[in-house]
Amino acid sequence: MRHFANWGILGLTLIFLIGPFVIIILAGASAGPNLAFPPEGLSLKWYAKVFTIESFRASFVLSMALAVFGTITALVLGIPAAYALNRYDLPGAETIRTIVAAPIIVPGIIVGLALLRYVVVPMNVTVTVALFMAHTALVLPYAVRVVSSSMHNLRADMEEAAVLLGCSRMQAFTKVVLPNIRGGVLAAFILGFVTSFNQVPVSLFLSGPGVRTLPIDMLAYMEITFDPSIAALSALLAFMSLAIVFVAERLLGFSRYV
Amino acid sequence: MSDTFVQLTDLTLTYGKNIAVPALNLSIREGELIALLGPSGCGKTTTMRAIAGLLAPASGSIHIDGRDVTRLAANKRGIGLVFQSYALFPHLNAFENVAFGLRLQKLPEAEIKSRTEQGMATVGLSGFEGRKPAEMSGGQQQRLALARSLVMRPKVLLLDEPLSNLDARLRLEMRTELQRVQKETGVTMVFVTHDQAEALALADRIVLMQQGKIEQLGTPAQLYAQPETAFAAEFMGFENIFKVAGDSVQNDHGSLPLGYRPDSAILAWRPDGVRVGQGPHQGRVTACSFAGGHREYVIDSALGPVKANADIALPEAQIGDSLSFDLPQATARPLRA
Amino acid sequence: MFRNRREGLALALPAAIFSTLLFLVPVAILLSEAFRSDTGFSLQGYVDFFASPLNRSVFLRTLKLGVLVAGSAAIIGYAAAFCIVNLPGKARGTVFGMVVLPLMISPVARTYAWIVILGRTGIVNDAIVGLGLSASPIRLLFTETAVFLGLLQLFLPLMIISLVSAMENIPRDVIPAARVLGASWLNVFFKVILPLTKEGLVIGGTLVFTGALTAYITPAILGGSKVLMLETLLYQKVNVSNDFVSASVIAMILIAMSFAANLVLKRIATARS
Repeated sequence: MRHFANWGILGLTLIFLIGPFVIIILAGASAGPNLAFPPEGLSLKWYAKVFTIESFRASFVLSMALAVFGTITALVLGIPAAYALNRYDLPGAETIRTIVAAPIIVPGIIVGLALLRYVVVPMNVTVTVALFMAHTALVLPYAVRVVSSSMHNLRADMEEAAVLLGCSRMQAFTKVVLPNIRGGVLAAFILGFVTSFNQVPVSLFLSGPGVRTLPIDMLAYMEITFDPSIAALSALLAFMSLAIVFVAERLLGFSRYV
Repeated sequence: MSDTFVQLTDLTLTYGKNIAVPALNLSIREGELIALLGPSGCGKTTTMRAIAGLLAPASGSIHIDGRDVTRLAANKRGIGLVFQSYALFPHLNAFENVAFGLRLQKLPEAEIKSRTEQGMATVGLSGFEGRKPAEMSGGQQQRLALARSLVMRPKVLLLDEPLSNLDARLRLEMRTELQRVQKETGVTMVFVTHDQAEALALADRIVLMQQGKIEQLGTPAQLYAQPETAFAAEFMGFENIFKVAGDSVQNDHGSLPLGYRPDSAILAWRPDGVRVGQGPHQGRVTACSFAGGHREYVIDSALGPVKANADIALPEAQIGDSLSFDLPQATARPLRA
Repeated sequence: MFRNRREGLALALPAAIFSTLLFLVPVAILLSEAFRSDTGFSLQGYVDFFASPLNRSVFLRTLKLGVLVAGSAAIIGYAAAFCIVNLPGKARGTVFGMVVLPLMISPVARTYAWIVILGRTGIVNDAIVGLGLSASPIRLLFTETAVFLGLLQLFLPLMIISLVSAMENIPRDVIPAARVLGASWLNVFFKVILPLTKEGLVIGGTLVFTGALTAYITPAILGGSKVLMLETLLYQKVNVSNDFVSASVIAMILIAMSFAANLVLKRIATARS
């Protein structure tokens, strides 16, 4: 009896959480011209159409580039910071931790607006660079946190052992620390990539004419057109995220880092 | 001393503003097995880290094999260190752990292979080459850490509490193992321990430390039989330590006449050295336990609790019984204040 | 090892400086904007903002939806987390994975699904008309209900994750022990489960409440200009009326509310014990 109730509750919760994706996948597979569920016949024409829309292609490339390079930059800044916060008795370590973690606490729309008004406009930064800076700042807290927690489990005396065996400090880091936090770094990359790729509020004010991230582009398209192509694109993006997470989980048990 | 191999001169070590070790002087001979013994916080590990180069001295110098290494980086000193936690590299298998330092020296592959295999054989780990550290037992990890340091042919091998993470049976096994390896390789070994039995059993000489200073330095036999201070005596199992006043001993509880006049400030007796069943003093038994060849008594006397061992042949006293005892001059160890 | 502080700072500072220059300083200037006037310090921006009935109602609606979403997430979250924790190992991993997965998917995609569900020709309206409950489709989109559902779907996983990890730390036999001692299930929940998982509830509650407060996409798509929330109002103030003082006020309110939520929840959690 209890068993039955358990699965009942879980079933309803999962339908609420996952059901909308099933609906959107099917709505995108409609043969008709309008967004509807159940779909008016099945076809893949809207899925195909998504790839022919020029602005989607451009914004997809931009979002990809921002997610990849923003996350890499965040890791380049974040790994040394995580290392220093773990291994050194730093003056003001708490302050540094708070500063680096802060972009996670403040609503993205505010970050975007503040950047636009006080950095991008006065310094005449191009839209692409502005987006790049914003996405890096956004991902940095995740990079530091995830790398930090995987470094936390790594004993400091392992590096000392490496040095006594002849390593320079740098070699001790690349030969001993890095191989052992590889999982954490990869997890941070994936988490950062997904966060950046899906990000809307930060990019809202920073996107300019012709330079839009994919989610912003989708919002704009939605306001004008009411056909199933957004549903199809949403479904494709969901599949992309699922694929990334699935591969990551298989490779390194991703979920323990989230 | 002409055969000094490691020389610490006025070595002062600090953590921030705290002085952990003030002006330490110590000579170690080549091929010696030295124990740095003392309670936690006595500066023994700090001293060892300074020798390894993991801690920069505030002042003083360290010479190894005639060379001043005080300012030499840790990776250039040619010193091995077996960490208390073993600090094995979890991402490498046993073979690669041992070969790690050899690879850094860019030795030919054949030499790396033969020296690694030989090193693993020395510690009895042949056949475990492909295992990851996590797949090995505590004792095997310890041996692996030892092999990893030994293959580097270090001038000095340091061991930080080498037996503390092992269970009682393995501890005995590793003791003999360490002695055997030391005899086989002839390497100068310095190990840190808080366990006096371990130091007595293993070391050629023991450096007993307290609060960053050397309390006493000598062979195990010397330390065991002739501790010089109350601290050393207590560490070596003299459980009855009393101040001398004229021809009696005293403490906070009271005093007892000795019947002779000692010429030292403090006297100490092991429980074995207290005679039970006869003697001028009386006390009440507050604890009694059987320990094989003898019984261990705690006798409440004018000096408070006195610990005494009685031969098993003597009649057993019960808790609450009155028992006579003596603090004989023959078994008393005179100590300086 | 010779780890001196200068070396450590050299490693940590690039990230800290990056964050400070591109984030902390601009946000601080933005927040200060509402306090500045020609004569120096002023609270006029705040007075003006709350003088407007529209602004007040948006503020209250945001607060209300935040509390409702966090509260509903807590109730559903406890039920779901309890079921998940009691699943056998393998099923547990799978179900937990299915709960986490939506977090990895674009919020635009997640929100857009509700248009299909709640739209004029969506399934709900089809059902209503089909069952004869109403002659014509009723408006479900651009209502508070729509925004509420969207936000709940978006942030429920965060609550479940927090509660699952909190419940995993409950010692194994505590609940059977309480039952044996005669506690009813209600007692077990309030006297055992709740006190032992309040840390998770505080974390989950803060995440969900803050998330609901600061979500942009969901109120934008499902609420539009009919159901404004603070984030969408901020966007309007900037893009439609160029009103940066109001934007600054809203920014301050959002940040303050996030912190307040965390403090209040922590206070509640400690008061109970």
